[in-house]
Amino acid sequence: MRSFSYMRADSEAAALQQAEPSDVQFLAGGTTLVDLMKLDVLRPAQVVDITPLRRGPAGEIRADGDGLRLGALVSMAEAAAHPAVQSGYPVLADSLRLAASAQLRNMASLGGNLLQRTRCPYYRDTSWHACNKREPGSGCAALEAPNRMHAVLGTSPACIATYPGDLAVALVALDAMIDLASEGGRRSLRVADLHRPPGETPERETNLAPGEMILAIEIPAMPWARRSLFLKIRDRASYEFALASAAVALDLQDGVIRQARVALGGLATVPWRAHEAEQALEGKRPSDDVFEAAAEVALVDAQPLRGNGYKVLLGKRTIIRALRQAASMEI
Amino acid sequence: MSKAAPPPQDGMGEPVPRIDARAKVTGAALYAADFPVANAAHAVLVISNVAKGSIRGIDLFAAKATPGVLLVLTRENAADAVKRPSYFAEGGHASTKERPLSSDRIWHDGQIVAMVVADSYEIACDAASRIGVTYDETRPAGKLGGPGTETVAASAVNKKHKDPMVGDAERAYESAPFKIEVELETPTQHHNPIELFATTCLWSDGKLTIYEPSQFVYGLKHGVAEQLGIDPTDIRVVSPFVGGAFGSKGSVTPRTALVAIAARQLGRPVKLVVARDQGFTVATYRAETRHRIRLAAARNGKLLAYQHEAWELTSRIDDYLVGGTEATTRLYAVPNAATKVNIVRADRNTPGFMRSPPEVPYVYAYEAAINELAEVLGMDPVELRRVNDTHKDPITGAPFTSRSLMRCYDEAARAFGWSHRREPPGTASDGDWLIGWGCASALYPTQMSVAAARVRLVRSGAAHVEIAAHDLGTGAYTVLAQAAAEGLGLRPEAISVTLGESSLPPGPVAGGSITTASCCNVVAKACGQIREKLSRAVAQAKDGPLAGTNRRMLQFANGRIVDSRGNGEGLDQALDRLGTGAIEEYAEWIPHGAKPEGLQKLYRGSLDIVGGPMEDRVAFAFGAEFVELRINRYTREIRVPRIVGAFASGRIMNTRTAHSQYMGAMIWGIASALHEETELDERTARYVNKNLADYQVPVNADIGEVEVIMVPEVDRLVNPLGIKGIGELANVGTAAAIAEAAYRATGKRVRKLPIRIEDLL
Amino acid sequence: MKVNGQLHRLSLDVRTTVLDTLRERLGLTGTKKGCDHGQCGACTVLADGQRVLSCLTLAAAAEGKEITTIEGIAGPVGALHPMQQAFIDHDAFQCGYCTPGQIMSAIGCVREGQAGSEPAIKESMSGNLCRCAAYPKIVAAIRQASGEMRGS
Repeated sequence: MRSFSYMRADSEAAALQQAEPSDVQFLAGGTTLVDLMKLDVLRPAQVVDITPLRRGPAGEIRADGDGLRLGALVSMAEAAAHPAVQSGYPVLADSLRLAASAQLRNMASLGGNLLQRTRCPYYRDTSWHACNKREPGSGCAALEAPNRMHAVLGTSPACIATYPGDLAVALVALDAMIDLASEGGRRSLRVADLHRPPGETPERETNLAPGEMILAIEIPAMPWARRSLFLKIRDRASYEFALASAAVALDLQDGVIRQARVALGGLATVPWRAHEAEQALEGKRPSDDVFEAAAEVALVDAQPLRGNGYKVLLGKRTIIRALRQAASMEI
Repeated sequence: MSKAAPPPQDGMGEPVPRIDARAKVTGAALYAADFPVANAAHAVLVISNVAKGSIRGIDLFAAKATPGVLLVLTRENAADAVKRPSYFAEGGHASTKERPLSSDRIWHDGQIVAMVVADSYEIACDAASRIGVTYDETRPAGKLGGPGTETVAASAVNKKHKDPMVGDAERAYESAPFKIEVELETPTQHHNPIELFATTCLWSDGKLTIYEPSQFVYGLKHGVAEQLGIDPTDIRVVSPFVGGAFGSKGSVTPRTALVAIAARQLGRPVKLVVARDQGFTVATYRAETRHRIRLAAARNGKLLAYQHEAWELTSRIDDYLVGGTEATTRLYAVPNAATKVNIVRADRNTPGFMRSPPEVPYVYAYEAAINELAEVLGMDPVELRRVNDTHKDPITGAPFTSRSLMRCYDEAARAFGWSHRREPPGTASDGDWLIGWGCASALYPTQMSVAAARVRLVRSGAAHVEIAAHDLGTGAYTVLAQAAAEGLGLRPEAISVTLGESSLPPGPVAGGSITTASCCNVVAKACGQIREKLSRAVAQAKDGPLAGTNRRMLQFANGRIVDSRGNGEGLDQALDRLGTGAIEEYAEWIPHGAKPEGLQKLYRGSLDIVGGPMEDRVAFAFGAEFVELRINRYTREIRVPRIVGAFASGRIMNTRTAHSQYMGAMIWGIASALHEETELDERTARYVNKNLADYQVPVNADIGEVEVIMVPEVDRLVNPLGIKGIGELANVGTAAAIAEAAYRATGKRVRKLPIRIEDLL
Repeated sequence: MKVNGQLHRLSLDVRTTVLDTLRERLGLTGTKKGCDHGQCGACTVLADGQRVLSCLTLAAAAEGKEITTIEGIAGPVGALHPMQQAFIDHDAFQCGYCTPGQIMSAIGCVREGQAGSEPAIKESMSGNLCRCAAYPKIVAAIRQASGEMRGS
């Protein structure tokens, strides 16, 4: 790990006052940042510890008629255990509960979780030369490597690294927004617009400006989100990133799907909203045929490689299984 | 009584709680990196990121300019520092003949190219990341069977290796009514003990102390002495606790001598804790294998022919070989067998022992084939094994010292409920989960080593056992206390045990499941010597309750020496009669089949192991495992709700620690079948998933019900105490049972490991 | 940093983790390093009563926190914590290296109310790898100790 200057920010203003924003990393739970600094992948000149902001709104969960507001410094464990999350947004609670380990869920903040980095081994291990995400222009070693874990959606010839998180997938399904702050002021962004597909510039992972900080996650009221769930497929029964995951919600009235939400994880370079699958569901009565048609259209643009071709079929079956389960939920 | 402490049956030892348990649950147990060493400097390795080629240049400028950096060892300043190691498989000590930092040549990915030593760990890490190494790279060949590798018959490179053979397998196969031919593969796997490969070296008055987790402290002492060119008596290795090893800490790896050299040069202790990812290439691993097997049988299931050709990967430097057909040919009666093992040299680091090195891959392949044969024959796989059970070695005709394979099958099958199994494949399910059952045999050669031990009995009735053996979590401390307690008629609480120190009498390597048999027998022998002297003293005394009795009739019990009528006296009185305050006996034990010169070899830190197939007899332990899988109908996650194993392994010294060993090994079997694989980037011959997130081992949630049945077995031939090893038995065969269960659930035959979601979609 | 009730004033390299501080500066080597990247759980300690990974916690960020390690849970005159005793009773370890992390995590599991059922315990303990694979015995130990911890 390279040396850095450490500053503890006791206020939002203090956190945002930075001489060289591009050299700053915010430290919350540290589960991504400290890990990647030890790996020499991240070398910030300054680390600004924002955990004191937990004492303010960034550490609070508020639920009211407008929806749910989750402070960015709320831990994954706190959010997963919150009654409003559990009762109103099962998909969210599941996505948190199934992620990482108990220790990591105690440590990791929600904001930090959204910003976790890919697990692509060629990115995380600096002894590999070719990684466009880490060293722009160096190539992508994963294209012809053991790439069982890599993405089949949203990829580019420059990068196939999977977005590893679960929470963001649930949030994308829920049309969530994030509140951002920087020295220049505040703004809101859809979670769906937070992560950038790699395209030609995989090193630019998000649409955050340098020095910009996530304050909170806003989830709109959505009563039918009670019929939602997060299905995570992995080799191990716990403590593993998704090979495929589906966040689904169904607005089922009188036996007809009025609205549907389908988002995918483990399959794509970013948290992936499957709008076409949703359209294929809306107005239909739930049935295996309908679910299969939705799954088919969700993966139609998949770009499989040698090691991850199975993810196309696995992704479809994950969607089908999640939809079947959601349709039969007792709510 | 807790499941953890099964009641002993028929001569098994009591489930005495581990005597080191308190140290382990309080954090007081000192593992190598825990020893307080004043003023230690910290070392970090720099390893190559190419697998083949040569070093063009090493830029040390930035590293050396980092404040706090004390020393950087490279080929520039340390090319002659380490002498050529001797390879363990050639009678030496080291995991490889690779001589660290000796030249520009790169033999494999992850080869040590520099070692940074600094005032702190943080500085050393930082400096190591600033060292720039450039290479002239040539295209490596790292994959088993890939272009550029070199295949050689094992018998051509290893004089000790003989491919087991009997009858005319080719002809018998051709003319047989039922037959199969299958090809199977097993992956690269790494031990990944949770304890990292740590080494601390400390020099004092020209003498070196090494704190390093070791399965063989004598081997480490002599190996490092050889590499440094110093007298072995000037080296002391300290390794009282080992945080898991599984074979990875059995031989001397290249790091140790470098740490010793740095410490000597700096005049300051140096501590190295090898990073998890570097451990994948700094130590050894289980190499990938391939198998081509042909089996033929008569209609009644009797095996007629067994042909097995196998390929194992090794490095360019060392001809590592496991050769598992020595085991498979002993499983069933087969009149015609032909086997051949090949090694395949590739641009990889040298493989090494990993828990049941030959048996895990070879028995998986053989047992998977046997299960397929059962299907071709339309037979219950248990019955197929029953008709082919044997009590003599199919190759040599020698008798088994004991063999309880079918008793294990019967007990495990009953506990599992095997009679309720469903045919054909793909017909059992529970909601969205497909259910499949499978079974397979386990076997492991009973191996023993020469060993020495010292036992001291003091007036209070306490005794102390000393032996340079090792407790890797196996329970060696506890079973040796039990052996001494039994030998001296004391309670186990009265016994203290010191292990893991190279200044003690030499014990064997903690590998090949040899510790309990070898060490309990030598401790029993030392105790016998003590009994002999004390018995003689009390029997030959002028007065006292035992004066004039036949000393051979005396018993040691409850801290006393008594005759058949219960008359007797205390051990303190017996010592008084001997005219001594304490008695200490040194014993050496040579197992059946070993040569006396094996003792001299052991004192020099070399292995001398006997067992398995011997000239006049053959010694193996056996078991049977039954497993249930649940596989999701849609997404094909594979879960293991239950597994039952029954094992017969001679006398069990402690049913508690044995239960843990069997259970842990069965879970290793599950891991081997469904989780573990080191992925190789074929273009570069480099490992990809060098961490504990991507190299998957099971987590708590993966493990369902694990039932262990210990089948009593009395073996009067194998060694005086009738003990067979147990540490490696139970992860043998598990993968074949799981592969069969996966087939039964899904109708898909997968002939490679691990079996994963994508194989069953 | 307060460790096991004792306040330590330390001057540290800013890069130092809580794990390396405990082991290399305070001589508290019960907490183990197994991966150094938050993947094995061997370094689990309690920070302000919650289980965390000391290898991913910078010491600087732990300033003012109360850290509890395996050395700090036994009672006076060496009376074992119920979880320590339960691990012995169920032989819930072999090599013992992951054990301090398992025990600290197990105490956290009970305190967090995750020890109500076997599946809950298994999920909650899945961040602690045990290569010797004592998992079923760890679960049994936690079931035993959770009752005793609630009772006390």
